[in-house]
Amino acid sequence: MKRAWQIMCVAFIAVSALTILFSFGYPYEDKLGFGPAFFPVWLSLITGALALALFIQTTWGESVVDLSATLLPDRQGLWRIFLILIALLGCLALLEPLGFRITLFLFLLALPMGLGAGNWWVTLVIAVAGSFGVFHVFYYLLKVPLPVGMFGI
Amino acid sequence: MDALQYWIQGFSVATMPMNLLYAFIGCILGTLIGVLPGLGPAAGTAILIPVTFSLDPIGGIIMLAAIYYGAMYGGTITSVLVNVPGEAASVITCLDGFQMAKQGRGGPALGIAAIGSFIGGTFATFSLMVVSLPLATLALRFGPPEVFALLVVGLSLVTGLSGRSLLAALIMTLFGLLLSMIGMDPVRGAPRFTLSIPALYDGVGFIPVVMGLFGVGEILLSMEKPVLEIIKTKLTDLLPKAKEWKLSAGAIGRGTIIGFFLGLIPGIGSIIPTFLAYVVEKKVSKHPEKFGTGVIEGVAAPETANNSYANAAMVPLLTLGIPGSPTLAVLMGAFIIHGLTPGPFLFKEHPNVVWGLIASLYLGNLILLVLNLPLVGFWAKLLEIRYQFLYPGILLFCVLGAYSLNQSVFDVGIMIGFGVLGYIFRKIDWPLAPTVLALILGPMMERNLRTALEMSGGDLSILVTRPISAGLLIVAAVVLLTPAVRLVGKRAGKDEGG
Repeated sequence: MKRAWQIMCVAFIAVSALTILFSFGYPYEDKLGFGPAFFPVWLSLITGALALALFIQTTWGESVVDLSATLLPDRQGLWRIFLILIALLGCLALLEPLGFRITLFLFLLALPMGLGAGNWWVTLVIAVAGSFGVFHVFYYLLKVPLPVGMFGI
Repeated sequence: MDALQYWIQGFSVATMPMNLLYAFIGCILGTLIGVLPGLGPAAGTAILIPVTFSLDPIGGIIMLAAIYYGAMYGGTITSVLVNVPGEAASVITCLDGFQMAKQGRGGPALGIAAIGSFIGGTFATFSLMVVSLPLATLALRFGPPEVFALLVVGLSLVTGLSGRSLLAALIMTLFGLLLSMIGMDPVRGAPRFTLSIPALYDGVGFIPVVMGLFGVGEILLSMEKPVLEIIKTKLTDLLPKAKEWKLSAGAIGRGTIIGFFLGLIPGIGSIIPTFLAYVVEKKVSKHPEKFGTGVIEGVAAPETANNSYANAAMVPLLTLGIPGSPTLAVLMGAFIIHGLTPGPFLFKEHPNVVWGLIASLYLGNLILLVLNLPLVGFWAKLLEIRYQFLYPGILLFCVLGAYSLNQSVFDVGIMIGFGVLGYIFRKIDWPLAPTVLALILGPMMERNLRTALEMSGGDLSILVTRPISAGLLIVAAVVLLTPAVRLVGKRAGKDEGG
C-alpha cells in the first residue's frame, strides 16, 4: 500500500508540472487584472508541493498508510473487474455505431454470462427487457435522447 | 411578500397532483437506490437526472430531492439486514442495527429508523423554512471576497474532516479544482486546457465524474467480493414495543438537534452528524457497554440525525449555493441543468421553485414513512437479486445517464475513466468527496477570487481586511491547521515520554 501512495504522489507531481507547463500558453495577467493562468498556476504549485510533502512523509516519516491492507484483489475478483471494464469499453466503442438497443443488449447478455449467471433464458429475457425495454421507456416516454445505430435500431 | 405567504405559495405548488406524484416516484426510486448495494445516493441521483429531462424544472427538482432523501433512508435497510451501509452516513447504523437483525429484531430497527427519520426530517424542514429567508437576504450582501472565503470554508471542512491523511485530502481537493479549470475561463470566457477537444469546451462533465467515482468505482470495488450474506429476520413487527419507544424518544430528540445544526454548516458531510449522535447517545446512556450489541437507541439516534442533516443541508445549498456533500452537489448540478442557480438569487427570481421544494420536503418525509413501513419486506427482497444481474443493470443506467446529458459518448468515456480512478482512490483510501465538491465549486471560487482581486487592484489583503471574509478565512485556517497542530503536539508528547 505504501508503494501505491508513493506512485499516486508522483502522479500528482507530474499532473501539477504538466498543468504549469500548459499554463504558459495563457496570460497570467492582462490589462483587466489576473488572467486565465493565474488560478491554475497557483493551484498546480500547491498541489505539487503537497504531493511532494506526502511522498516524503510516506517514505521517511511517520506512516499514515494502512500497511495491513492489500491492494490487489484475489484472482477471481480481478477477473470480474477486468470483465466489467472490457464490457464498458465495448459499450463505449459500439454505442454510436450500433445504437443503444443492440449495444446494451449485447452488454446485458455477455456480462452476466461472463460473471457466471448460468441461466441463458433468464439472461436473455433480462437483456431484451433491459435494452429494448429501457430504450422504449426513456426514448419514447421520457423523451431522453439515446443513440440509434446504423441499422436504424 | 412575507414568509407566511411564501410558505402558502410553496404548499400550493407542492400539493399539485403532478408534483405529489413526482415526490412519490422520487421517494420510491431513492429508496431503491439506497437499498441496492453498489449504488450510493450521489451516483444514484446522478443516474436518475435524465428521468427528469421531460419534466418542468420544479417537478424535476422535487423528484430529485425526493430521490436524495429517499436514498438516505434506503441505506438503512442494507445496514440493518446485510451489515453493508447503503451510503456512508449509515455506517454507524450497522453496529446496532445488524445486531438487532441477528437477534430477530430487524423489524423494530427498521421501524424506529423510519419514524426517527420522519421526525428528524420534518423538524429540519420546518427550521429550513424559518432560517432560509433571513439567511438568503444576508447572503445577498456578500461581495466576491466574502463568497470566496465562504467557499474556502466549505472546502476546508470537507477536506479537514475526510480521510486518514490531511495531505491526501488536500491533494484531492486541489485535484477537483484543477479539473474545474478545464473548459471556459469563468472570467474571460476563453477556452483553457481543452487540448482542442470540442467536448471539453464546456469543461469536464460533473455528472459523469460523479457517476464514475461513486457509481462505477463502487461497483468495481464490490466485484472483489460480490456476494452478500442477508440476515433472515422477522419483518412483521415493525413498530417498537413500549419500552423501546421510551428508550428511543430521547435519542430521536437529540439526533434531530445534532443533525439539524451540523447540516447548517456547509461541507460537514453526512458522516459526522450520525457518528456524533451515536457517541452522544452512548455518553448519556446508563448502559454504554451495551452499545454495539443491538440497542435500539444506537439505531434511532444516527438515523434521525441522518435525515435531519439531509434536510438541513438544503439550507447552505439553497441560500448560499454551497453543497455540503457529493449528493447535494449532484442536486446542484441538476438545478443548473434545469436552468436554475442555487443561491440567494433563487429566492428572489424563482420563489415558487424554492418554496415548492421546501414544502415538498414535508410531504416527502410523510410519503417515506407511509411507503417504507409497509414495504420493508419488499425492499429486503431486492437484496436477493443476484449480483450477476444487479451490477450490469446499474451499469446500464450509468451509461444511459452519462450519455443522455449531452448526447456524448465522450461523457461515457469520462465516466469509465473516473470509475477506474474512483476504484483506485478507494483502494488506497484517499477521499473522493473533496474532489467532487471542488469540481463543482471551482469555477465559482476562481470567478470570485479574481473579481475580488480586480476590485482591489491585485491586492490580496482585500480578503483579510473585510471582517466577514477575514472571519471566514480564520475558520478555514483553524479547520485545516487543527489536525496538524494536534499531530505536532502528539509527537512532542511522544518525544518527551521518550
